[in-house]
Formats: sequence, structure tokens, C-alpha cells
Amino acid sequence: MTKTRISNGMFIAMLINLCFVKSIGVTQGVLARSVGQDMWIATLLGTIQGIGVIYLTYLVIRKMPDKNIMEIGESLLGGWFGRAIGLIVFVFFAAGIGPLMLTFVYHLQEYFLPEAPRVLFVAAAMAVGMVGCYYGLEVMARIALVGILFIFLLNALIVVGSVDEFDIRNLLPVLESGFPRTLAASIHLDSDWALSTMLAALIYPAAKDFRQRGALLGIVAIAASGLLIIIWSLLEGAVLSAEVTSQYTLSCMKLARNAHIGHFLQRYEMIMISLYSIPMLFEVMICLYGATLGAAKLCGLKTNTRTVLPAGIVLGVFGYWIVEDHFVALYYLERIWPWIALPIAVGLPVTMLIVQALFGGRKT
Amino acid sequence: MIRVMLSALLLGGVVALAASCMGLRQINELAIVSAVGLELGEKPGTVRVSVQIIRPADARGQTGAPAGGTGEPVYSVRAEGKSIFDAIRNLGRFTSRRVYWSHNFVIVMQEKYARKGIKEMVDFFTRNHELRMDTWVAVTPDSPEELISTITGLEVVPGEAVDKLFYNNDVAGHALGSNMMNLEEAMLSGSAQPVLAKIQLQPRGISNKKPGARASINQVELAGAAAFRGDRMVGWLSPKETRGVMFFLEKLESGIEVVDCPNGGGVLTMEFKNARLRVVPSYRNGKPEFTLRLRADADMVESGCDGALGEIRDEARSKLEEELASSLRGALNKAQKTYRSDFLKLGDTFRNKYPSEWRTLRHRWNETLSEAETEVKVKVVIKSAVVKAERTNRP
Amino acid sequence: MSSLQDKLNERLEPKLQDTVAIIDGILGNSSDLHRREFNLCGHPDYPGIVWFLEGMADTSIIDSILMALMVSARELNVEPAELANSEELRTRMMVNASVKNCETIGDGIAAILAGDSLVVIQGVDRAVIVCAKGIKERSVEEPSSENNVRGPRDGFNENMRTNTASVRRRIKDPLLRFEALTIGTRSRTDVNIAYIRDLAKEELVEEVRKRLERIQIDAILESGYIEELIEDSPYSPFNTVQSTERPDKVASSLLEGRVAIFIDNTPVVLVVPTFFWQFIQAPDDYYNNYWVGSFFRIVRYIAFLISLLLPSVYVMIVSFHQEMIPTSLALTIASGREIVPFPVLLEALIMELAFELMREAGLRMPKPIGQAVSIVGSLIIGQAAVQAGLVSPFMVIVVAITGIASFAIPSYSSSLALRICRFPLLLASGLFGLLGFAVVFFVLLLHALSIRSFGEPYLAPASPYRPWDQRDMLLRVPFWMMDRRPEFAMDGRRMGDRQKPNTPKEEQK
Repeated sequence: MTKTRISNGMFIAMLINLCFVKSIGVTQGVLARSVGQDMWIATLLGTIQGIGVIYLTYLVIRKMPDKNIMEIGESLLGGWFGRAIGLIVFVFFAAGIGPLMLTFVYHLQEYFLPEAPRVLFVAAAMAVGMVGCYYGLEVMARIALVGILFIFLLNALIVVGSVDEFDIRNLLPVLESGFPRTLAASIHLDSDWALSTMLAALIYPAAKDFRQRGALLGIVAIAASGLLIIIWSLLEGAVLSAEVTSQYTLSCMKLARNAHIGHFLQRYEMIMISLYSIPMLFEVMICLYGATLGAAKLCGLKTNTRTVLPAGIVLGVFGYWIVEDHFVALYYLERIWPWIALPIAVGLPVTMLIVQALFGGRKT
Repeated sequence: MIRVMLSALLLGGVVALAASCMGLRQINELAIVSAVGLELGEKPGTVRVSVQIIRPADARGQTGAPAGGTGEPVYSVRAEGKSIFDAIRNLGRFTSRRVYWSHNFVIVMQEKYARKGIKEMVDFFTRNHELRMDTWVAVTPDSPEELISTITGLEVVPGEAVDKLFYNNDVAGHALGSNMMNLEEAMLSGSAQPVLAKIQLQPRGISNKKPGARASINQVELAGAAAFRGDRMVGWLSPKETRGVMFFLEKLESGIEVVDCPNGGGVLTMEFKNARLRVVPSYRNGKPEFTLRLRADADMVESGCDGALGEIRDEARSKLEEELASSLRGALNKAQKTYRSDFLKLGDTFRNKYPSEWRTLRHRWNETLSEAETEVKVKVVIKSAVVKAERTNRP
Repeated sequence: MSSLQDKLNERLEPKLQDTVAIIDGILGNSSDLHRREFNLCGHPDYPGIVWFLEGMADTSIIDSILMALMVSARELNVEPAELANSEELRTRMMVNASVKNCETIGDGIAAILAGDSLVVIQGVDRAVIVCAKGIKERSVEEPSSENNVRGPRDGFNENMRTNTASVRRRIKDPLLRFEALTIGTRSRTDVNIAYIRDLAKEELVEEVRKRLERIQIDAILESGYIEELIEDSPYSPFNTVQSTERPDKVASSLLEGRVAIFIDNTPVVLVVPTFFWQFIQAPDDYYNNYWVGSFFRIVRYIAFLISLLLPSVYVMIVSFHQEMIPTSLALTIASGREIVPFPVLLEALIMELAFELMREAGLRMPKPIGQAVSIVGSLIIGQAAVQAGLVSPFMVIVVAITGIASFAIPSYSSSLALRICRFPLLLASGLFGLLGFAVVFFVLLLHALSIRSFGEPYLAPASPYRPWDQRDMLLRVPFWMMDRRPEFAMDGRRMGDRQKPNTPKEEQK
């Protein structure tokens, strides 16, 4: 299915884009509610776990470098296994659209367009996603590069605007909540890189230097996203203080609203949001893409073109249901989504490795 | 392939038509608020909100075709309601445009309102996405409506005048630059208490038309601070004590002090620069202790003393050190003894170094702080006498 | 008509009367078609006719043909019987520079219509075509739409051969090839494909050839026809084929490994493949110092962003997100808009329309009036509209800056494409605020990233990222750093080592 070739940089960019956007948006608030100013340590721990899982994913694909995870399943245990994995992939990305839609809609709607109906946002995002899926993986990978550029600009802007208020006292003392609790809290960050690792499971074969450097690509991607996110954790902890961060759903918006450059540019969060919206739309698009791939495998289709429209509608409806009620959305984000994401993201590679070890020699 | 595109377009088009431009407000349909005053209403349990709205055509002069101008750059109104949001919506009963908060410069609270509790106010102004986070916040003993509608001499829009006063607050060094950001942070913090700037009306302006009448025009003055415990105000701080607080909270770097001349004759003014305050906590016998170290360089900027400047240098130095120490002690005194409220963030400093001890002490922190020992050490080095090498008068 | 086709495929008979009848039958009685009868060597048994079109053929060449065949032949005492073979005629008697044998009637007719002259002689087995084109052409002038301060000022003109010569004189490489094609069933326009054989990829040249040969149309009047018939994304407003009037641009493109398409009757030459960033490059960048070149190139990138984004951002901020404007600016804008009766989006559309009208009017007006209209339009009407309270002064400034920025882009045709892209962006931001802006921008980006131009991705070298080609994109690095060709060329090496100039070391005494 993946005959297209994307360059290494594009692969890394796609994974970073996928992980970064939601992490700085909602996850930091969730972490602050759990462990206070040790958000950045939880992020660090989460990143390390992410590196482990991406390596596992790499090991799964390494044996058959031309097939993505669903095709590997098919060749190992037959068609039904491939379809089962397709179903799992579809469920994962369909469930994942909830937190992503939440981030997108609340970022734009609550702060900028409060009177706009939410269905408009969901429809617009889904429409864009469908157009992107139609254009194919290569075009989406190129947009990831633009997304990465915007992410760097965004980070630069936020650092410049917040460094005045940086107060190291807000970050000390370190590990006040204790190591076990911080480790437990890192589960929220894990659900962010879970999207990246699942995407890698689908598109790893398309990366140009997969055979020589596949592991390195994945590790670099997750590590880089972790570093970019930690900048925000540190800034939110030091500039806002952890108590303030824990009060907000979208803590990155709070930090952006506080930032100011000199006396003239009092509020420039719109520049930052404009930069932010491109990676955000990219994330929605990729989530849809993953869902269409899973659905295509499930229905036994060769390519995913015909599943784009139905998958788009399903995901759109589900996304709208999630964002309609603010409280439902938060409950889903904090309680339900990690328990869907992590078992799949960790369990699937592990299962595949076991299956490969048992049945690997039988079929090519 | 075309089908996907067309269906996407159709979807977008249908939703767009159904939704119709929402949130669309032209900038000239907005009543731009530049200052807000909050006080207790006449009936108990109500809040009175007064706002100052800018009239752009008069504030900026005619750009383009002539508009109907009345010559007044601002328009002030007030309304009452059971809560702040209620009062603000009630403003819509008589303002012809939608009240728009995003360019608000300053929030002024009346003393009585602050003493009752500002929790509601903080919640309202931080939950609303329109407001800026760097809106200045102040408390006044006078009436806020009068204060916010006072036309100041230099600026056309009074709200802007107050904004610039706050912005330059470190020049005089007698008032805090308290804004929504640090107010919220202090309110939510487990250890620190809020402290806000004090603003009042003083007759300082001299009229051009009637020079004979003394300085009689009320001008807005920014000096002093209001200390809070929890969300209630507990008292005022004098400008000198506020200077001490500024060393703690705003890293005040420079200012002037006037001291008596060592051998009589007049006063000597010195400007200190590069001031750095370090607070070192320690823990002894179950009680926290704090050592404050302030270092600064100083210049002599105005001398009315006898005796050569080089000779009086040492005594001038010790007098300056004494002055600075007394402002620090004044602030500490108010925080520990008088108001029993930790608005100097001493708790944060203690917690950073002794996190486990903090856990036991933090529930009664305000009382514990009042018993803490403090030591103030000031060290100043006088570097120069600016441009002139000697004093002006002859020996 | 099949009979015409059949006739055209027939061989030319040596019998003069038959040939005359056939050619007259096909070409009719046009008043510019001339027949000059003569006798070969003056011998009455060998009559001949020279056909030529007046106005298209150079009569001095006709004179020389006649001189050669009538006078010189007699003076050299050549027997006409010896010249029964056209090959003999061609090699012994004809003194003109370009003489070909003519096989079929079709070739002969085509030659006459192209401005050459057809010589038919009784008894000679084949006719002879003499190249006699002498159409009056415009002299070589400065190209009107691509100006520069420093550098060559010769442009192309309507004669294709003059154009190819302009390029030939700049690249005296033996591997520079021009392949000829004829496109258009009725116009029979000459088209040349130019490329340097070891620099341009074989597949690229083959692709160009294939696409050109695929064209079946009655006439090609301008390069725009060909451009639309061979471009990669027919639905996209973006240009995937570059068009230029400057020979130095064409020469530098050929040296990079591209392929140029020359078309007769138009001074515009097409160059493929194209990258989007080329439209922001100007020849001045290369002829001036690299600091200057890089600086102005960055200015042009900013102009590009402004022309695409400024009106949309302004409308979006003033209609939806007024909190983003710094307060003093917000007050100024609000005071200007106090008495304007329209919402900002409508105001923007009106002003844009007015600007486009003025631009079009300035183009179509005869020259003397055109100047007055543009000055009147821009200054007075703009000012009067503000005074009358129809638009706010800020909007006039925004639209004017946008217009000026779009003219700063060196390639006129791509600035038109940008102008088209600006309108959906404007409408979306005016109707939906930030959501509309973000979504339409994203879709535009997706679209631009998906286009290919003859196999090369349109937005390269930015995306997909090609590190070696970055040296000419955003900045113009010095020539001693540009030592490789772009990736799509076959042979990368172009410079020797250590080309950076150094101050010479002190001579040892």
C-alpha cells in the first residue's frame, strides 16, 4: 500500500507534528492538576517511555521492511488477522479524533470566535482532512515540513514573549510530588506520543532510509518532540506558576495570552494561533488518514480512496459529540482516552513481536 | 477524486450558509473600554461597575470625513447588578454599542469592595477570554467613578494615562506594578498573598487658565500599596514600605534616597543602582529564619552639604544603608506583625529550599511567619558624584 | 478535405503547366502571390517559375535567384540539359544560402506560405525551395514587462530565428540543440525546443516533445495557448510553466538543465520545469553584489507575503479579533471607520475592485491618456472616496500597499495567480475570521504542495527539502559558493575548485 517514498526529514516532521500540538495544548493542564510544577519531569519521563515504544515498533517492521503493520499481520497469520489489526487501527484513530478535535475547536472557538457554532469548526477540519487524504501521503508529508517550521517559530515567539516573567522560584523545589506520582502522571503524555507511534507503524516502510536508520529516525522524532514540549512545560511552570496552569483547560493559550513583547505588541496570541493552526489541521488530517487506512484494510480494499468520505463522516460525528459538551470532553480526555491509547500503542507492537517470534519463519 | 473535493466544498458551503457570519463585529460598532471601576452598590449584595469608554473620533482627531463629535474623548457610565457580569450586562441597557473589554487598561477597586473580598472579581476577569492579562489592578480610597473619569493633563484618554503611570512606576519607585497576571498567581498560590497598588486623587494640577488658584485640579496619583490576606484587603502600605516590597517582588534596581548631611547643613540625595536583594531562608529550632542581603551601587546626585564630597562619603554610605534597611524592615514588619500576610513571597523562598519542612508548616504559615527571625544586611558602595567632582558651594 | 490532402501528397511533376494549374488551384488568386516566369539560362525550352508571397519574401533574394539562373548560367556557358537534376541545379548554379529539394506539392505550398520561394523549371525533375524569408520585424528592444537596472537590455521579438540566435550567442556550446516542430494545422507555427544535451535529462526532453506533439489545434497564436495545453495542473491558478521575454533568463535556465520552448510570432519563450520560487527571483539579483541581491530578494519575499495575506489579515482582525490590535492603532482605525456605512469585508472588496479597474483601465487606454487615468484614479479618487465617507483611509492604504507589493514580484503572470488566490482568502477571513483564514490557507498550501511541474515538485527546494539547492532560494549566495547545478540537471559540476577570490599574497623579492 505504501509505495510512496518520503524523505527522512519528512518522516520525523510528521511524527513531531502529531505529538506536539495536543501536548502543549491540553496535556500540560492535566499534568499540572496532577503533579504541580513537576510537569516538565513528567514530560521527560513520558518522552523516555515514548522512545522505548517507538523502538519496539521499529523492531516489528524491521523484519518486513516493505509492509506496514497491517500487511505484516496479514502475511503472518492470514487475512483475518490483517483485518483485525485494521479494525484496531481504525478504532484507535477514530477514538483519537476526540482529543484532537477538542484541542482544535476549543483553541479557536473559545478564545477567538465564541459565537460561532461548533459544528462549523468540526466540519471545516474534517473537510480539510478529506482534501488532504485525497492528495495522498506525499503531499501530507510536505505539509509536515511547513508545520515543523511553524512550530519552531511558535516556540521562538513564546520564549521571546515570556522570558521577562520567567521566575525560577516557581519551578522549585523539584520532584515535590515524589517520583512515583510523577511517573504515574506521565501517562497523559504517553497518550500523545501514542498517536505518533501508531502513525509510524503505518508509514515506517515509506521512509527513505528505513533499512539503515529506521530506529534512529523514530528515536530522533520522539526525542525532538519531547524537547519542544518541555520548553512549554518549563515556561508554563515558571511564568504562570503551576496553580494557575492547573486551572485552565488550554494552558498553552493562557501562556500565550500572557506573553507580550515590549509595550506595543500587547497581545500577539493570534500570530501564535495562526502558526499553531497549521500543525493542528495537519494532525486532524493524519488522524483521518490513519482511520481510512485501517478502514480500507478492514473492508479488504486495495487503496483508501473510497473510505475517505465515510471515515470522514464517522470521525466528524464522533468529534462533534465529544466537543459539544465541555465536561464530557474533559472527562473523555483525562479518564477514557489514555486507557484506549496506551494499550493499543504498546500492546500492538508487543503482540506483533510475539507473533513474529512464534510464526515468523512460516511465511515470507 | 473530484467527488471528494466537491463534497468537501458542498459540506463547507452548506454549513457556512446555515451559520451566517457569526461573531462578526465591526470595530466601529464596539464601545472600547479603557478603565473599569468596581465598588459596592447602594443595596447590600450588589456591585457597582463604572466604565470609561473611548470615543475614537474625538480621541484621535478627524481622520477622513467629519464625524459627529462632541469634543469629549471619553464617555463614562455606570451600572449596578448582583454580580460583576450582571452589572456589565446591565450596561447594555443604555450604551448603544457592545461593550468591549479587550483594550481595557486598568481595573480600580474601591477600598470597601476590596475589604469584602475580591475572589469574584479575579474569577470574572480571568475566565473571560476578552480581557488582557496585563491589565493593571489597583485599590483606591476615593470613589472609582470619579477617579477613572478624571481628565489628566498629558493624555487624551485617562485610562491610557494610568497605564503609562504604571508602566513607569519604577522611576518613582513608590508603587507596585500589580497586574492581573501576578494577582491571579498570588491568589491561587498556596503560600503567597496578593498585594496591589494604591491609587488616589490628589490636587496637584495647576490650572493654566487660573494661575492664581493654587494647584487645585485633581490628578491621579500612584503611590503606596494595599496588602491582602486571602482575598480580603487588610490594610495600606506607605510609599516607603512599598519601596521595600518592590525590592522583593519586582526586583527594583534603582531609586533615590535623601539623607541628612553628616555635619549638618542640608540634605544629600543619592541614587542607588543595580540593587540586588537576596533572601536566604534557614530553619532552626522548628522555626524559619530569613536573612536579607541587599547590595547596591550609588551615586551622589544632589548635594547641599558642607565638607568635601570625598570626606563625607563613608558617612553618607552608612546613612544610605540605614535608609534602605529601614524600608525593608518596614515592609517586613507590616507583612509579619501588622497584617500577618505573606505578600513578600517568603513562603515560596522557604519552600524552595526546605520542601519537607514546608509541608508541615504551610497550614499555619501566616502565623509562623510572624514569629520568624529576620536579619537585614545592606551593603552599598558609592561610586561617583556624577558629573561634578566637587560640591557647588565654596568651602 | 481528402482530395486536398491527396493533392498535397503528390509529387511535383516536371511539367510546368501541370504544376502551375495545381498550385493555382490550391492557392487561389491571392493578390500577394506572385509568379515570376523566366527561362533557365535564357533558353526558351526551359521555362521556369518562381513563386513567392509579396511581403513575406525578400525580393532581393528573388533577384539573386533570377540572376543566378538566368544571367550567371548564361555567362558560365552552362547547358540547361546538364541541369536536369535538381541536385545539379542546387550545387552548381544556385548562389543562395539555403536551398532545399522539394519532394511533394505539400512541401512546396508550405514553403511558399512560409515566405520562401518555390522554383519550378520545366525538365528539372524536382522543384527547389529557396529560403527567402524577409518579413519586416520589430527591432530588438528592451522587454517591456521585465525591467532591470543592470544587465543586458535586449529582449526577444516576434521572429523565432532571431530569438534563438540571441540565446545561441550567449551559449556557444556545441551541445546546445534546437529541435524543430510545427504545431497548429492551419497556423503551422514553428516551434523550437532548446536544451543542452548533457545537462538536461533525456526524460525531460522526451516528455516535452511528447506533450508538444500531442497538441492538435487549429492555430497557435501565442505561447499562452501552448502553455495551457501542456501544463501539469490544468485546474490550478499557479503557473507551472515559466514565460519570459529575456534571453539572459532563457540562457541561464538552459545552463541549469531546463528546456526552453521558442514559438514563432511571439516574443515570449516558455521554460520548463518551473519552481514557484523562481517567480520571485529577478535577473538583477545576479548581476549586482550578493548582499544587495539577497536583501532585495528578501524584500520581494515580504512583498509576496503582503500581497497574499495583508487584506485578509486586516479584514479578519478588524471584523473579528479586535483584541489583537495594539490599542492606539485600534483607536485610529476605529476613528477612521466611524462614518463608513459598509462592513469591512464589503469595503475591502469595493476597494480591491476599484484598484483592479484602475489597473485594467490603465492598460487598455491609449498611452497619452493612460498616465492621466492612473494618477487621477489612484490619488484623487482614493482621496475623494475617503472624504466622501465611502471608505476608511486605512483601507485605502492597505489596498494600495497590497497592489504595490504585487507589482514588486518580477514575474507578472504569477502575480496574477497570487491575486486570484487572494480573493478566496479574503472572503473566508471576512466571513469566518481566523477559522476561515486558517482553513483556506491550509488548503492553498496543500494544493501548492501537490502540484508538479514536468516531474519536479512545484515548491522545491523548500518542500521537499533539498539542502544543496537552498543556496539560491532565500538569499543569493556569492558565485564562488554556487558550485553545483540544481538537482534535476544531469551534470552537477560547473565550477573549478577554490573560486573565491583572495587578495594576492606578497611577492617574494
